[in-house]
Amino acid sequence: MLLIAGAMARSPTLFVSPRESPIGKRLTTLMSIGFLALVAAGIAAAWMTQRNQVHARWVEHTYRVENAIIDLRRLIEEGETTRRGYLLAPDVPLLRTAYEATARDLPVRLSALDALVADNALQRRNVVELDAQIGPIAAARAQSIALVDAGRVVEARDLFHTETASRRMMAVRRTMNRMIAIERTLLAQRDAELRDAVHAFYVMLALTGVLLVVVALISLAAVLTYTRDLGRSRDTLNELNANLEAIVADRTADLTRANEEIQRFAYIVSHDLRSPLVNVMGFTAELEASTQQLAQLVDRAEQEAPHLVSEDARLAAREDLPEAIGFIRTSTQKMDRLINAILMLSRQGRRVLSPERLDLVALVENIRDAMTHRLTEADAEIVIEQPMPDVVSDRFSLDQILSNLVDNAVKYLKPGVPGRITVRGRRQASRIIIEVADNGRGIDPRDHSRVFDLFRRSGTQDRPGEGIGLATVRALVFRLGGHIEVSSTLGEGATFRLTLPLSLEPQDRSE
Amino acid sequence: MNASSNPQSVNIVMIEDDEGHARLIEKNIRRAGILNEIRHFTDGTTALDYLFNAADGPQRNGPALVLLDLNLPDMSGTDILARIKGSDGPVRRTPVVVLTTTDDKVEIQRCYDLGANVYITKPVNYESFAQAIRQLGLFLSVIQVPDLDDGR
Repeated sequence: MLLIAGAMARSPTLFVSPRESPIGKRLTTLMSIGFLALVAAGIAAAWMTQRNQVHARWVEHTYRVENAIIDLRRLIEEGETTRRGYLLAPDVPLLRTAYEATARDLPVRLSALDALVADNALQRRNVVELDAQIGPIAAARAQSIALVDAGRVVEARDLFHTETASRRMMAVRRTMNRMIAIERTLLAQRDAELRDAVHAFYVMLALTGVLLVVVALISLAAVLTYTRDLGRSRDTLNELNANLEAIVADRTADLTRANEEIQRFAYIVSHDLRSPLVNVMGFTAELEASTQQLAQLVDRAEQEAPHLVSEDARLAAREDLPEAIGFIRTSTQKMDRLINAILMLSRQGRRVLSPERLDLVALVENIRDAMTHRLTEADAEIVIEQPMPDVVSDRFSLDQILSNLVDNAVKYLKPGVPGRITVRGRRQASRIIIEVADNGRGIDPRDHSRVFDLFRRSGTQDRPGEGIGLATVRALVFRLGGHIEVSSTLGEGATFRLTLPLSLEPQDRSE
Repeated sequence: MNASSNPQSVNIVMIEDDEGHARLIEKNIRRAGILNEIRHFTDGTTALDYLFNAADGPQRNGPALVLLDLNLPDMSGTDILARIKGSDGPVRRTPVVVLTTTDDKVEIQRCYDLGANVYITKPVNYESFAQAIRQLGLFLSVIQVPDLDDGR
């Protein structure tokens, strides 16, 4: 038993899983990292979208500036063309109106361009330069048109020849080209910026992706490790359980063996003790018979030759010998009863139990019927509280147990009080509880465990008996896989509570 | 036992390892008035040797009656019983009274199965014991033991 207790005490430490909280913490950390990575990716995407919008706006701006420059250029060229046409054909009024339209439009376009490049100092300087270049051209044109209007066509054509219009135009074109080039450079710069941003976005996306994959892998690894650990501890647990079962089975076998050994020992000892006891008792009887002869002889000697009889001889023949023989007799008789008790106990221990379904009410009724006479004599009654559950157990053992308990109850009634012995049974889970309660003299609480010991009795020793009944009861109850306890106070009756399995496993133990 | 009808006297073969028991049994048989010779053996081997081989043993000469104790030092009383009842000589017909302390039901059944004629449990109480032996003596005085010639 100590060894079993040791094994039980050792094993629980192994049942605790030491990894439960760390894995939770680890997984939480990993999931937080993954979540943060996702948030970062989202922020990056938003930033990227915003960058794209800004860029698109700037691209549009560039194209508008370019368009404005091209429009301006077209107007200047158109103005030139219409002026020249008007110089050549003054009688075509369409050319004149066309020229005027362009001349009117030109400053508007220029100021529009100026507004567009308001954010760029370099371009504004270019616009100012352009304005300066366009001014003389416009003035020359206005002068030649005015001459034509005045009918001085030849004079106007001469002026055209002398003027440096083409050189000025070249300068205007150069300026415009420069402006476009500047815008293109700006666009290229912005494209590069956008490319960088996209690149950064992709890098960030890739990093986040990698991070997520890493987190996923680590989580997977952690979960796998945890699962494997779980599996391993489950295996260990199973192994331990199996070991434990084996240990328990071993111990049980040991105990059973030891118990059988004790039973056999008790049987042999008690049996073999009987033989010498027969001799002791037999020769004591012979001795007694001889003593009588001797006493008669002493009597006769006393009558016929008193001087032959000493006081010692008379005492020996009449008192000492009969007294000694009497003690030998009572002792051997007691010893005989004790040996018989041990023999009976050991015999019951060796009996093979045969479980069968038992009707408890019928069983107790039988016991009651068998002791009707004693009950009337003792002024007692047995009350069977119905119903009682059926039980699968050994009929002989249960009958012995209940008979002994009822017998005890009848035996130890309180003088002057009509005996009332109640037998009741109830089911509790897979066990049955049977109670035998009486209103008898009761048992001193100090003796509650003692009364179940062999040859031990409690209270006034005024009833015949050797202290065997309850020992037998307890041995039988143990054999049936149950236990028994008593609750009682002196003078107020006793209740013996018997707990048995509802169904006794059949056993195949040979005697 | 009836000396008048049977000229050959019947030997009582007592196989009992306990000298005290043997003495008490003998005393009480004598008290019952049985005067036949009692041969006492304390172990199974010499008892069997006498039963089967002795010149005046039951196998060769003269009717006998066996008082058998079951607890013997060298062999079990049931073995002796089996040997007696299992033999094919006249010993087989020798009445066997098993007189032992064992009151085990299984043992009693086994002895009768093996062919024991009477099974008596020695009462531990001496008065009962003495009375049982005396009654056995009275019983012995009236039973008929088979004539050896019948078997031949």
